[in-house]
Parts: sequence; structure tokens; C-alpha cells
Amino acid sequence: MAAVAIHLPLMLMQLPLKSYDTNFHIFFASHYVHHWFDPWNVKWFAGFSQTTYPPLPQQWVALLSWLFGLNMAYMAVQLAAILLLAVGVYRFSRLWVSPRAASYAALASVFLGNESFLVYSAGQLSTTFAAPIYLNALPYFFDWLRYGKWRSLLKACVLLVAAAAAHHATLIFGSAFFALPVIALVLLDGKNEDREADEKPSVQAVIARTVTLTIVVGIAIAVVLLPYWIGLIRYPITQTPIPHPSRASYILSPEWGLNYFLVPYGALILALPFIVIRGAAVARLRPLLLGFWVAFLVGLGGTTPVGKLLLGRAFEVLTFERFSYWAALLALPILGLVIMEFIDRFRLKAAITVALLAASTCTLAVAWSSIRPADAANFDVSSVAQWLNRDGHDRFRYVTLGFGNKLSRLAIMTDANSVDGESNSSRMLPELTKFGGAALTSSKYFAKPGMDSLRAMLAHADRYGLKWVIVRDSYYDPLLYFAGWRQVDELDNKTITVWGKDGVPPATPMNTSQRPPRWQGVLWGTLPFGFSILALLVIWLPEKRSRGFRDDDLPLSTEQTIDGEVIS
Amino acid sequence: MNKGRLLAVAIVVATLALLAIGTIWPVPSAVAYAGGGKGDLLVSPSTPEAAANDLGTQIRLHAWDKAYSSLANKAEFTQSQFIHDLTGYALSLRTYATLDGFEVQPLHQSANDAEVIMKLRWSTVVGTFEDKRDVHVVRSGDHWAVNWPIVPEQHVPPQVIPVNYLRWDVIKSGSGDDWGAQDVEAPHVRIVDMHPVNRADGVVVMGELLNEDVIPAYVSVRATLVAKSGSVLDSEGSFDMISHTLLPKQVTPFVIRFPGIDLSEVGSIRMVPQSVLVSASADPVIEVQNQQYNAPPGATLTGQLSNQSGQTVNVAHVLSSFYDKNGQLVWVAGQYIDRALQPQIPVDFRISVPEDIARKINTERTVVSTYAVGSFQ
Amino acid sequence: MRLGRVGAFVTAAAMTAATAAIGQSSNMTLPPSVVAGSAFSIATNGSGKAVLYIVGPGQAVRRDVEMGQPVSFAAGVLYNAGHYLVILAKDSTTDTEALDVVPAPNPETLGFLAQPSRLPVGVHNGISGAVYVFDAYHNLMTTPMTASLELSNSSGTVQSRSIPTLNGLAWAEIDSASKEGTVKFVARVGGISSTRIIDQVPGDPCAITISAQPENGKLLVQTAPVHDCSGNAIPDGTIVTFTETYNDMQSTVDVPLKQGVARVTMPAYKGSKISAASGVVAGNEIIWNGGR
Repeated sequence: MAAVAIHLPLMLMQLPLKSYDTNFHIFFASHYVHHWFDPWNVKWFAGFSQTTYPPLPQQWVALLSWLFGLNMAYMAVQLAAILLLAVGVYRFSRLWVSPRAASYAALASVFLGNESFLVYSAGQLSTTFAAPIYLNALPYFFDWLRYGKWRSLLKACVLLVAAAAAHHATLIFGSAFFALPVIALVLLDGKNEDREADEKPSVQAVIARTVTLTIVVGIAIAVVLLPYWIGLIRYPITQTPIPHPSRASYILSPEWGLNYFLVPYGALILALPFIVIRGAAVARLRPLLLGFWVAFLVGLGGTTPVGKLLLGRAFEVLTFERFSYWAALLALPILGLVIMEFIDRFRLKAAITVALLAASTCTLAVAWSSIRPADAANFDVSSVAQWLNRDGHDRFRYVTLGFGNKLSRLAIMTDANSVDGESNSSRMLPELTKFGGAALTSSKYFAKPGMDSLRAMLAHADRYGLKWVIVRDSYYDPLLYFAGWRQVDELDNKTITVWGKDGVPPATPMNTSQRPPRWQGVLWGTLPFGFSILALLVIWLPEKRSRGFRDDDLPLSTEQTIDGEVIS
Repeated sequence: MNKGRLLAVAIVVATLALLAIGTIWPVPSAVAYAGGGKGDLLVSPSTPEAAANDLGTQIRLHAWDKAYSSLANKAEFTQSQFIHDLTGYALSLRTYATLDGFEVQPLHQSANDAEVIMKLRWSTVVGTFEDKRDVHVVRSGDHWAVNWPIVPEQHVPPQVIPVNYLRWDVIKSGSGDDWGAQDVEAPHVRIVDMHPVNRADGVVVMGELLNEDVIPAYVSVRATLVAKSGSVLDSEGSFDMISHTLLPKQVTPFVIRFPGIDLSEVGSIRMVPQSVLVSASADPVIEVQNQQYNAPPGATLTGQLSNQSGQTVNVAHVLSSFYDKNGQLVWVAGQYIDRALQPQIPVDFRISVPEDIARKINTERTVVSTYAVGSFQ
Repeated sequence: MRLGRVGAFVTAAAMTAATAAIGQSSNMTLPPSVVAGSAFSIATNGSGKAVLYIVGPGQAVRRDVEMGQPVSFAAGVLYNAGHYLVILAKDSTTDTEALDVVPAPNPETLGFLAQPSRLPVGVHNGISGAVYVFDAYHNLMTTPMTASLELSNSSGTVQSRSIPTLNGLAWAEIDSASKEGTVKFVARVGGISSTRIIDQVPGDPCAITISAQPENGKLLVQTAPVHDCSGNAIPDGTIVTFTETYNDMQSTVDVPLKQGVARVTMPAYKGSKISAASGVVAGNEIIWNGGR
């Protein structure tokens, strides 16, 4: 209810549209609306395959768009993910802490700054969609490890595959941060004398069950995302890394520390000492604490050397706000426990304090998308889309400059094709991958690499049928002028100028060798979405209630901890 | 101490240690975002190089307050003058340039002062340029501070410059006109010289294009390298290495690069000059003054640009053709001018010439194309 | 799109079948030819109902007819000149005849291609004109006619050519005059005319003469009024490149002609050499000796 009360109005206001990536997801969804079984999209990068990005949340947006339209369908899917997160956090927390503490953890997830930051500022639908599915899978994983129940195995596998279909990185890193603590928990419980015999599987059994699940899930993911893996093997990501401020040191660059640490974590920062103390005090919580700690350190980006050491070259490719998100999710069970004990001790004062801190954390993270918006200028691209769609202008390709994330919005609205795009992992054109700039439309923010990339693309305009450059930032005017483009039109009260190049041949289909064959399109349109439906079905299979946390697992109060009477 | 407390203490200590390590020895991405230095955690520079490095970092981060306050000679100019010295007094390439990197080279040092060279590499919309400053660094108590060699703004005396404004406008036929109706022809242009050379990074095709018409032309040149077998090796355009707007009887050099191709592979070259009739203005007129070819080693063409018109030119592009003693074109090179051309105030330019070509050069010719903000309205 | 393709296929099939049937006995009588756009009728024999098709270049007409009654076609029904097939389909039999539609006898419009629209003075056969004669329905009139091409300038000088059309086309080449300015290029056939404007522009500068004089410590260098070899003034805006060489230093400036003269202020170095050029034409060189 709290999640609905807080996030439904924000979704109805379509607040996520201001974020960095929302339009990108909607653009992908718009392609699935018309070409569910053909992932080849000609609108970006002179043609690219959408199998380069796991499709599940975007396919759900596409499906729901028939009812709500694309924007509201996105909001519906995002809201569903938020609601599912509260459920996932509760179920995950129940493995570690009491039902009451788990309830506090679930309630805290609604106010979690990291979640709001990803939803309203970053627009990371895939991450926020996959994480709750993954959290919901973990209790089944736990049950399978502890009791060897086949139904649990089935449910865990289906949910994990569905999570991978939403965001493969969540599964890869989730295995380390989430699954390992769960395995450790099963082993720890196995040593507990008070546990019943069926709750104490042997180490060999746990290992065997882990391997079984890993193999089954691995094979299933390999099949479900087969077009993705094929694309990755045929066209490995060799492009020059693109700078991302989440890799900065938040101490040396405090402005990024504000953005990627203070705002997402919010008041959770105040709870960090208690989380560490409480998590360390209880033996059962220690695996979780360690998982949180590693994710937390990695989430600090370049602030510590941990991310670079653990991830190697991947450090230059990944962004780290999602690691902070995972760290926060891992902290929630312990936070729920801390809140419970705080309220038990200080009653109403504590409840009011926690409520205020939670509300302020959520408010700041939500407001951050307005305080520091992804695009300072909010403008309508319909005039540009209309211009491109008329008089045969769409026979040529175009590139925008100074459009920010409106690039995706324009691509949804126009029939014309671009050489640019927002999906960095999907692009193959050497002019885009060689230099280390991101989208051409934001070239200037990537300094020399960005401008080198733009110049290379403009120099090869004839090759790509690139005739139009649509500019909303006069910074680029000198380059276009000296490179042989002429201003041919003005739009939107002269705030947008259209530049054309003479003698450019009309665009022809390109990159066709990269086009996935038809069978891959059918697979892509069937299995990921099919597994999400399957997940919805199998979770209703009746199952004996799991016995993760027991009341006698956590007999400690804060006072007892201070007194040094910790039972470990 | 019990296990829980030990673990908590270990986590806290390890976290603090990792934060300290990450701050003292930051990873490369953190260094890049901190402007190439260590951001706000700077201690007072204890060497002249450190002082210059810190200044470079602050300039890179646009931390103007800190940069200005760190200067030893800040009493000689205002912070605004300091900023304008780096970003230009008028709108120019410098205005929105980002400092891509910098180098500090010590020249000599005594107990209380030192000379260093600061090479600032700026990235602009049209490419990079280097701003080299000879910097005097002085000891001030226990730390060093930079004496910034400011280049003061030059002023033009108030005056009226009469401009006999010459401009061509084009009226084209309407789309509803009959078949066979007349339209204004594209300007007649001609390639008057073309010369391919083999360079280490590939083939370079250079030449000169003449507008032989009586109207202005918007021109570009495209070259296609054809292999001896008849297949097309590559096709490239002149991009920005040409003056696109040519007034009547004006000549522009052009360069077209084909990276990764050897001239021995090339059977023939197809040249396609394109011209379009455009509205154009004969102003501004830019004089190239005191042009001097400096023979190798370190061959350069130096000179000054002087804007003889009354309007500010925001960006100028200098293109120079170099000829041997037979009048044969041997090289074409260009340079963007990073400062705006204010009326009548000369601005230096300097174009480097490759050593192997420099020895052949006998004469040179320079043209300037210009961009002024608002010239499209 | 699909309907269009089906139509074209049906038309082609009908024409193929009909062509094969030509020469069989016919139940219709056609006029020997029809003038494009005029009214005409086709007489039919026999009784009963039939369908009449007329298929030709860019046109197809279908009529339900009562056999034995003439079929009338109003003016403007057939307007494209060319060879048509008339097919009369009755029950399972078809009669096919050929019908020629000829252009109207009087020209109505001219397609006049004049090239180029701008050229230097004094170019032999530099101007070409091609006239296409059309009737009111834009049919090319292939019957020979006399076309006249006249090139007249503002001073009244006229160059004229009279030439017969051949297959609807007449063309001629004419020299450009030695005097700059716009000229009217008029094509006439019958009472119809079409006019194009040709811009005769000065040629390359013939001789560029420069002079220099000191001005405020600098050197004011200017050309004499620049003309081509026919005496026409070179138009304003034409670039003259001034080059001053002094020791190893050189100053160059591209200056547009204004009011016939290019003028520039350059550094005053004693002993410097100053020259001017425009395009590929070089002018004289002067040596500055400090005002002497």
C-alpha cells in the first residue's frame, strides 16, 4: 500500500520520463510493438540488433502499450517492479530476520533512495525490474539448498531465468552478492545444534544442489538469451571504454559523491554503523553483511581500488550506481532489524524519526531528477519528427546534436533513421566505437573522444547517407560550417536548426550481416517473455512454508550486544 | 573482544584503509574526473612543478576561484581577466574549450623561483590546440605559486569602419514551373591542381580548386581511389580541409586523406568537385600579414591574421598551400585560430610542416575562411 | 500499388491478345485517325451488347455499347498522341482495330532548354537552345515546322537562327556577345514563343594593374579598374589576391573588388615587392621604394 501511495502518483505524473534512460527503454519497446519477432532495428546506428540488450521489461512495456500507450505502459511496468521489490525484500529478509523486521525492511524498500534514484534519475528499468525477481527467487533457492525440494528448484530456476531475461548483469553479479550469502546461510544453519535434522543438509548436499541449480539455470539462460550470446561471441565488445562519473572518486570529486552516494543512500548512511555492528554481532547475518560490504565498496566506484581490483577491465565498462542499489538491498534485512530494535527501544520517538528520515531520503532521491535533471532543457521534438517525415527527408539518415535523451523520443516519432543512438553496447559502427565517446548527440560532454567520434562520423556522411544534422546547441555550428554543412531550415521558434550536406546519396540498408536470422527473432520474441509468464504460473504451485529464520536465531537485543553476550 | 566486534572493527578499518588508498593513489578514472590531480584534497605545493600541476588541474576543473587565488601575481589582474585570458575575451574556440590535458616541463629552478613551460592541450569543437605558456614560479613561504603570464586584451580605438556591404542572394525557380524552365546554374568551378602523395598513415590527395565564375560558390571535393584492378579502394571528402565558400575567382587548397592505403595500390583517382549556388557575403576581409616560412628543422609557417572588417570573426581557419621551386603543389596544411579576430587586431598563426616536405618548399599561399556567430540569420 | 500492377498486366495481356487478332473481320468502323483531344465516334455493326476497350499510351477507356449504334466520344477523352488498340468484346469473340491519335495541328506550348544560363562573353557557340514543340495536350508535334531562335541584348543587337523542327525538336548554337549583360533568348514556333534570360558575364581579367601609396605609415595598394579583354568591367566581389614579399616575409590578402577596384592596406616595407592576381591571371609587380 505504501509503495502504491508513494509511487503511483509519481508514475501518473510520468516523472521517470525526465531520467537518463527511460526514453531509451521506451524506444526499444516501440520497436517490439511493431516487430515483436524481428529484433533488427534500423532506426539507430544505421541498423542494429536489439538482441544486444535483454528484452523482458521492454517487451512488457510493448505489450501493455496496447492498453495504456507507450509512456503509461512504461510507468505500469516500473510500478509493478517497485511493488514486486517490496515483496521480494520481505521474502528475502525472512531468510535472515524475523517477520516483523522483514516487514520493516520491505517498508524501507519503498523509501529506498537507491531505488528512487534508479527509477526517477537513472531510468534503469531493467535493473529495477530484474532485482525484485531475483530477490523473489532467492527464498526458493534457499529452500532447494536446505530441503532439496524439487518444486523450489523449479521455481528458483524459472524466476532466475526471468531475472536474467530482464537484466543479465543482475544475475551475474547477484550470484556473488546475493547467492553466496544465501549458500553460506544454509551452511551456517547446518551447524546449528538447535535445528531439526531436515534443516541441516550436509555440505556435500549443499554443494551438489548448488551445482545442479547452476547448471540448470546456466543452460536455461544460455537458451533463453541465445541470440544475445551469439551476438556477443560474433561481435565481442571491443569498443573504447566510455567515461562514466560513477567511476570517479567520490572524495576527490565531491559533486559525483553527492550524486552517486549521498542522494541514493540518503539517511541509510546514518544507519551504516548500526548495520555493521548488528550484522557483525549475529553470526547468521555475517554472510549478508559481507555481501553488503563488498557490494558497497564496489558501488563506491573509483573511491576505493576494490572495484578496479575485482572487476578488472569490466570496471571501465560498468556503471556503479546499480552496485550501490544492490548493496542497499543487501543491507535492508539488517536495516529492518535495526529499525525494529530502535522502535522497540524508543517507541514513538523512534517511529517518527525513522519515518522522517525515510521520507526525506525518498523525497530527495525523487526530487533529484528535477534538481539535477538528465536534460536541463525540456523541449518537444515533434516539430523535428514532422520535418524528418515530410518531403522525402527520411530518405536520408540524420544525427542530432544537443538533444540529450530526447534522441530516443525523436527516434520513436520519426520514420527517418539515424547513425546515432543511446545503447552503447548495441553499436558497431567504427566511428562510434573507436574513440570512447557515447551518443553523438552529447559529443561535447565527452571532450576530445566525443568530438573525434563526431568528426569521424561527419567525415563519412556520404557512406551512411547522412544528410541531416539537427542542432539544438550552437556549440557545434563552427564544426558543421567548416566541414561543409549548410543551414537549411529552422524549427521550434529557431531554437533548432537543420543543417544539410549537398551531394549525399540516399541511405541504403547497412550492417545487414549483423542482422539476426529469423529463428533468432522468434526465439527472442518467445522465450524471455515466455519465462516471465511461466514464472507467474509456477509461483502459485503449492509448497510447504519455508523455515529460513526462526525466532531463536536472533535472541539478541542491542543491550546484550553491548554487554558482549553475543551468541555466535 | 568477541568475534562480532572484531568483524565490525575489521570492516570499518578496512573500509577506511581502502578509502585512504583510493584517495592517495586514485584509479585512473578517478584521476580523470578529478581533473588530472587529486581534487580538493590538495596540500600546498612543495615544488614548482606541483604548483603548475595544481594550477593545470584547477583550470581543467574550471575551478577558477581556486586557480586565481593560488597565483602569486594575482594582484596584477582581476579574476575575470584571468578567466578571459584562458577562455577568450570574445566568443571563440576557447570559450567552450575543455582542457584535455597538460604538461609541465621544468626549465630551471633556484631556491626561490623557477621557470617551467606549461603546455595546455585544449579540446574544441573543431579539434585540439595547444596553448604554451612560459611560467615563472616563485616560492612563497613554505609553498610555491605560479606567476601567470597573462596576455592582456587589446582594444581597438572607438571608430566607424565604413563597410561597402557586398552580398549575393539567390532566387530559385518555384517548384511549380514547367518542364524546361530555366534555373540559375551552379557556379563553375575547376580543379586547377591535384597531387597525391604517400605518407606513413596513408595516401593524401591535395590540390587547389578555383571558382571561375562570377558568383560565389559553396564547394567541396570528393576523391575516389581506384585500384589497378578497377575496384574502388576508398572514397573520401575534403571535410574541413577546404574553404567551402569561394568568392568569384577565389582559389582554395584542399586535402583528402585516405588512411591505411598505400599509393602503390592505387591505379587512378577520380576527383569530383561539387559546387552549389549560395547566398554569400564578401565580408569580412582577412589580411594575412608577415607570413614567413621558417626553414627546417622545425619548419613552420608563421604570420598574423588581421581582420580588416568591422565585425568580429569568432573562428578562423587558415589553410596554406606550399609549392616547390617549380610551382608544383607539395603540401597543404591548416590551423584553426583559437582566439576571435577583433577588427584590426593581429592574431598569430603557426602551421607546422613535415620535415621531409619542408626541404622542398619554395613558396606558399594562404587563404582564410571565417565563421561569425549569427552569420546565418 | 497492387491494383496498378494488375491493371498493367491486364492491359499487356489484352494488347497481346488483341494484336494477334488484328486482321480478322471486324464489327466496328474506326476513323482513319483522331486528333488528340477532339470528339470522335466509332460505328458498330450487328446487335446485342458488347464492351469496347481503347488502350493506348497512358490511357485506357472502357464503354458498354449497344451493337449497331455508333459510340461517341466527347472532346478530351483521348488526349495522348500515339498508337491505340480498339477492342470490341462480345460474348466470346473480340474484334480488334488500330487507331492513331495524332497531335493537334497547332502548337500550344514550347519546351525551351537554354544552356547555359550564365556564361562569359565572347564564347563561340557558347549558347545552345533546344526547342520542343507541344500541342495543347503536351503531345510532341513531330510534323516539321519552322522554329526561330533569337538572341537579343539591350542595345538591340539580335542574333537569329531559323531552323526546321525534326521529330518535334529544333536546336541551335549561338555565340555569346562581346558585351556583358543579360540577353533575351527567345524561341518562336507558329505564334508561340518562350523566353529565357542568359547572363553574359565578363571573362577573366585581362590585365591587373596595381599602384601603391603611403597612408598612415602603411601602404595603400589598389588596382586600376579591372576589365576583361573585351573591356567589360569585372564584377564586384571578384577576388584579387595581393601579395607583398619582403625579405623572407610575405603578406597576402584576398580582397573582393568593390566598385571595380580592389583596395587594401599592407605593411610598408622599403624594398618590398607587391603583386596582384585574380584566379589564374597575374597582374603587374611593383617594388616599394619608400614613396619614390
